[in-house]
Amino acid sequence: MSRTRTGIRELDDMLRGGFLEGDAVLVAGSAGTGKTTLALQYLVNGITQFRERGIYLTFEQLPTQLYRDAESFGWDLRKLEDENKLRLICTSPNLLQETGGEENILTEPIREVQPQRIVIDSLSHLAMYTDEKDMRKELYRLIMLLKARSLSSLLIWEANQMAGQSLHISDLGSSFLVDCILLLKHVEIESSIRKALVVLKMRGSDHDKRLREFEITPTGVNVSAPFTQYEGVLTGSPHRSLTEEAANNWALAFGKNKQKHS
Amino acid sequence: MNTGELVARLLASEVRGDILALFHRNPGIIDTLEGVALRIGKRAESIEEDIKDFVDLGILRARRIGNSKVLSLNRERDRETQQLLAEHVKNSSAGSSEQP
Repeated sequence: MSRTRTGIRELDDMLRGGFLEGDAVLVAGSAGTGKTTLALQYLVNGITQFRERGIYLTFEQLPTQLYRDAESFGWDLRKLEDENKLRLICTSPNLLQETGGEENILTEPIREVQPQRIVIDSLSHLAMYTDEKDMRKELYRLIMLLKARSLSSLLIWEANQMAGQSLHISDLGSSFLVDCILLLKHVEIESSIRKALVVLKMRGSDHDKRLREFEITPTGVNVSAPFTQYEGVLTGSPHRSLTEEAANNWALAFGKNKQKHS
Repeated sequence: MNTGELVARLLASEVRGDILALFHRNPGIIDTLEGVALRIGKRAESIEEDIKDFVDLGILRARRIGNSKVLSLNRERDRETQQLLAEHVKNSSAGSSEQP
């Protein structure tokens, strides 16, 4: 199976080598969890490490903001655009739904850049302009359009969820239409807000089911160890789990107690 | 049209400067007249004529996507115009420094 590597080593390990090529991946999380950074890094790494060109389609942020934000990580998006390896498109959500006629909004950029990767930022913004009853059909149409062009896509979804609140799969909109779901989340641990990510679903592949801590560093996303010492992190109310040693002590004590009474 | 006339036409009003700056800083904008107006805090009807002129000058491209007419920057023409502007500014400042 061909994989689309993110270039973030620990994340690729979680994904058993990367996303499956051509898959539609939902990246969900509340504001400030790092969705845009992760998506930009996915495209920049695609270009610089794997020779895969990309398109970033945004409804919200102007490209000039993205250029500036990317610069702080050392990513020169303008240069990549000049080299025709990347295209930042800023448009209105209703235009993405215009499918009549010979062209759609992506026809020309796809022809010019010949990308393998695309980011749509964001589906939640698209949903604001779409009737709830039509959203499933529109999302299906979009995913099929991207798949027809053999594009591996990251679809960003801004979830209304804060640290301390649990997130339900139904909050993620039409999550059943996508192939993979990556959830980014704020968690409160010992009075500080930390970031966690988990692969909630990956159709057709095994993946790491553990919740991992990650940070936004000056060079981008850095995924670290799983939250082994805490339970209930995904619910937003984490508590220290029994350590292995403590669990063994309980088992030992239980064993001794049993012997004593036998 | 000479460079001076082109520059005068491009920068005939503040709103024209806003539109040019928007597209120059964000060359990836592909949007409707309403969308472009929204991004500079204006209403569509207030920028319609300026946009039409930029399309006539070849700075912006207008094309149809589905039922919508969309506008985008003609990157090649923008590069040429930027070069002309730079030369114009250089010549203007050289000319003014020669004056007694």
